[in-house]
Amino acid sequence: MTSWAENMKENDFSAEANASERRIQVTLSGTADLTVRSQLDRFLRDVHGEAQRSRAEEVTVDVRALEFMNSSCLKCFVWWISTVQEQTTEGRYRIVFVSSPTVYWQRRSLNALACLANELITVQA
Amino acid sequence: MSDGPTLSFGLQIQPQSRMVSIVRRFVEESFEKLVGDPEAVFRVSLAVHELLENAAKYAVGDKAGLSVYFESDGAAASIKLTNETTPEHIRRLRACIDEIQASDEPGELYQAFMRRSFGLQNESGLGLARIRAEGELNLSLETQGTTVTITASCLPHKETQP
Repeated sequence: MTSWAENMKENDFSAEANASERRIQVTLSGTADLTVRSQLDRFLRDVHGEAQRSRAEEVTVDVRALEFMNSSCLKCFVWWISTVQEQTTEGRYRIVFVSSPTVYWQRRSLNALACLANELITVQA
Repeated sequence: MSDGPTLSFGLQIQPQSRMVSIVRRFVEESFEKLVGDPEAVFRVSLAVHELLENAAKYAVGDKAGLSVYFESDGAAASIKLTNETTPEHIRRLRACIDEIQASDEPGELYQAFMRRSFGLQNESGLGLARIRAEGELNLSLETQGTTVTITASCLPHKETQP
């Protein structure tokens, strides 16, 4: 049963999050560029807030339908990952990216993000 | 020299954030039809996007000139963006590109730029480091007064000896 949900749609970008038990499922689609950077930033802060509140074990981020992400939006993920890393062991949770091998930015960018915190991040293709 | 066709074009555009993805898609869709290497197309379109975004954030005035040259086998590419900006931004840009050019480990430098960007809203240089690491393109900077040109390019692959 879903206990928390967050949605945003802006320009050609949409983000959805649903929480169930101690897991959060995030789905991103469209194009994450400069025009949606501040909205994505707020969205990830809300996801992190809910993960902390619900003591989530894992957040899955499905980016298969995300056509492109620019460096400004990547910075939002750097903030998120770095913030999770700064938590005490109890406050940390795993982040799993579900990616598409046919969307070329994903392999390179997600692997670079994963290198920031190998202990927390998994990239599934 | 490439055996396949060479593609090139130039655009004068307003450096606005809403234009960036439109131009990137134009490049992707045009080149995908002609080029057999979608990953090479991605590398060029990534550079187009990040350079245009740089202009959208820091250009002064309402004009930016983009030129793209691409050999259809992906062996050589050049993406050049010219715009006006402030002396302060040119200083930061030069420092950033000098650091990128000096590094033999683009992937490690990209990681360092990512870590450094934590808490910074602007001017992290992450887009340029991304062009170098993910796009595998060399970066150079030319300035004339407050006119700045950033070039992202790769040279033709040298033939390897058997």
